[in-house]
Amino acid sequence: MGRTVLLLWSLGPMLWQLYSSLRPTQALTGVGSGWTLDHYRQLLSAEPPFGHYLVNTALVGSSSTLLTLALAIPCAYGLSRLGQRPARQISLVVAAAAAFPAVLLFLALLEVARDWQLANNLLALSLPYAGLCLPLAVLLLRAAFREIPLELEEAALIDGLNLWQRLRWVLLPLIAPALASTALLVFIFCWNEYPIALTWLSRQELLTLAPAIARIAGSSVYTIPYGAFAAATVLGGAPMILLLLLFQRQIISGLTQGAIKG
Amino acid sequence: MRWRLWLLIAPALALLLALFIAPLLHYLWLSGHAQSVVTGLEPRPVGAQQWLRLLNDGRFWQDAGQTLRFAVCSVGLELILGLAMALLLHQPIRGRAAIRTITLLPWALPTTVMALGWRWIFNDPYGPINQVLQALGLQPVGFLANPALTWLALVWADTWKTTPFVALLLLAGLQTIPEDLYDAARLEGATRWQCLWRITLPLLVPYLLIALLFRLAQALGVFDLIQVLSGGGPAGSTESLALYAYLNAMRFLDFGYSATITLGSFVLLVLLGGIGAVLWRWRPLAGEWR
Amino acid sequence: MSQPSTTSTGKLRLTQVSRRIGAQLLLDQLSLEVEPGEILALLGPSGCGKSTTLRLIAGLDPLSGGAVWLGERNLTPLPPGERRVGMVFQSYALYPHLSVERNLSLGLELRGQNQASIQGELQRVLSLLELEGLRQRRPAELSGGQRQRVALARALLRQPDLFLLDEPMSNLDARLREDLRPELRQLLRSAGVPVIVVTHDQQEAMGLADRIAVLQEGRLQQLDTAEQLYSRPANRFVARFIGTPSINLFSRDGQEIGLRPEHLELARPDAPQAEGWRGLDGQISHQEWLGDRVVVHLTTPGGTTLRVLRPRPAPEGPWQVRWSSDAELHFDPRTGVRIH
Repeated sequence: MGRTVLLLWSLGPMLWQLYSSLRPTQALTGVGSGWTLDHYRQLLSAEPPFGHYLVNTALVGSSSTLLTLALAIPCAYGLSRLGQRPARQISLVVAAAAAFPAVLLFLALLEVARDWQLANNLLALSLPYAGLCLPLAVLLLRAAFREIPLELEEAALIDGLNLWQRLRWVLLPLIAPALASTALLVFIFCWNEYPIALTWLSRQELLTLAPAIARIAGSSVYTIPYGAFAAATVLGGAPMILLLLLFQRQIISGLTQGAIKG
Repeated sequence: MRWRLWLLIAPALALLLALFIAPLLHYLWLSGHAQSVVTGLEPRPVGAQQWLRLLNDGRFWQDAGQTLRFAVCSVGLELILGLAMALLLHQPIRGRAAIRTITLLPWALPTTVMALGWRWIFNDPYGPINQVLQALGLQPVGFLANPALTWLALVWADTWKTTPFVALLLLAGLQTIPEDLYDAARLEGATRWQCLWRITLPLLVPYLLIALLFRLAQALGVFDLIQVLSGGGPAGSTESLALYAYLNAMRFLDFGYSATITLGSFVLLVLLGGIGAVLWRWRPLAGEWR
Repeated sequence: MSQPSTTSTGKLRLTQVSRRIGAQLLLDQLSLEVEPGEILALLGPSGCGKSTTLRLIAGLDPLSGGAVWLGERNLTPLPPGERRVGMVFQSYALYPHLSVERNLSLGLELRGQNQASIQGELQRVLSLLELEGLRQRRPAELSGGQRQRVALARALLRQPDLFLLDEPMSNLDARLREDLRPELRQLLRSAGVPVIVVTHDQQEAMGLADRIAVLQEGRLQQLDTAEQLYSRPANRFVARFIGTPSINLFSRDGQEIGLRPEHLELARPDAPQAEGWRGLDGQISHQEWLGDRVVVHLTTPGGTTLRVLRPRPAPEGPWQVRWSSDAELHFDPRTGVRIH
């Protein structure tokens, strides 16, 4: 019984969107019947085509993920090898930053974008995104580094491996699961982020998914655009659903670890 | 050796400081300056004028109340539903792993995508809820035209999206409780209800608190959901502080006042956080939370 | 066993080596020398500084004072990777994600040594330790003894100038430990370099090493052969630490007397006493079976407890504990140093 309610509660709204996206507009407003792919066609042939937003988002997501890892790995490693007290203090600050509502930053970031001419630069968006994801990434990776026995790294030291070699050949392979969890969570965050994308991106063809959806929501281009709305939610949500289904274990462990270890 | 470790930490720490501390300092400076269309978008020092304006700004305080009400209600609801969901997912039922994944799906959806979806579901008269009402012979309800109902729709949508996250956290907490405790309690004749109250909930307190603090901070900054689902309407009745600050900057081009609102919101948040910190220290369980 | 790398590397020399963390002195001016081909055991209870010493020699921790020399080379300023030490860790510290083969060769590969020479060496070491069949296995798929051999092989492959082993047997079960000891001793000796083994187990120290350094609270108590440590302990601590069951200590005439349980005999109080022998009356409190022998615990009227090692349990009745006065060790009750 509880199971049915749970599934209905979680899936119902999503299935309704899928259903709506496949119904002709007339059918949605009461008259008419049948199925159609028109809403998808309309979205994909719009100017710019909806696929554009997905590509932009994937691009920002990937570059932000890489940048986050590039900054978080050395930091987490350093913290895990630093003495107890300074590491705990820094980690506390990092944990506090993780709970900080990012929306408070948008005004300052708006000015940064304006003064440094970073607006409408997709790659530049990685900088604030990486900053916002760093707290979680550092906490997750630090916990993973700390679980590696110190003797293992000392064996590598005696083997004559330098810091980079130790990371590349010994430590990173051993924290691969945590790296995957972190990368996935960062990517999901970037895919979903709205306020900063809203302030940094204004050119239609550079929009990422979230502001593009919001713009569709606010536009009156479509008379009764709900079929297209629904199709947009399906297209925008599908990649995340796919990601979750494929990597459920890594994502779930990352989420729980992140909240508990933080 | 030591300094090399600091060298590794420095870049990330620098970005964090730049991203989290610099804006607050900048807001502090900007809140003492007028920078709007009136000043030709150039900052002009005005002292405490904008802070006085904020204190007397009915809309700010109304939004603060609305934001707090939204956060408290949706987080409270999420904790209760999340606990129920976690208890359900903790049962050894068939297909548990698959059900856990499906339950988490709403969390993974972008908020704007989800908000747009809910706008359609609450549509008057074609959304599914109104379709059902009409099929029952009732009048369709203009959910997004009525302040109370719009507020309800927002809480509902937020709960739908974030309950799975809370449930997942609590589930992790449930998994740390040793089965022996329940066996021991059953030997003494405890009922399931007593087990829940006397064993599960007390041991879950740390996890409940983490979920509470984390979710509360996020819910108090609510922006995406409201902007797309209701736009703060009808008549500003669902406007949040973040949305108000955003409108001041982007629509009214009053950057000075927008900074004042943002910093004012931050001060309120810190006050709430201070209360949380006091509770954190006060709990005798503090040692187990790390 | 053939060992082409038996070139003399010079002796290991520690001169007044200290290690301090804050106000805590972990190692206090330790000086010792180990010849090539010699095995030295560092023995002591946990926290005595023996592992610290090993880590200082390996370069894993910085020295607070003194220097480490290997032949004419001063190792003190060198990082661990350049000291040419082979180390076997207590946990073996094998890379869990790499095969046996890669575990051995990773260090050499990353130093840019050419593949052909690595493969040749690898083959030699693997066959020396009878690991050829396990080349492709991961550490998790190996038994404890196999893991130990892989760890040894990794250390050997680098043709080290110095061998360091941290509790190399502690992760093995007791039977295997005894079986492997002669083999390990043979292997270490044949490397022809100074070897240091850290252990808290006196059996292991005696079975493996030529000489034993007993440490306590960061200070060297005595450095000698096993035989000398047993029969001529430098002080009360060494006397108590070496030998099982441990030595009997009691006071007499302002002196502290030490008597090994194996040097005590039981006689009926009315039995005649030989020349130069002493005796103490006692009541049996309990007897402890060791398998092949029995420890008899007796209490004297003065309240002293004595342990006597016998081949068989003693029957009930009044007893006198007897010993030859030659077997007595005398300690200064204040300093604990052996006087006689």
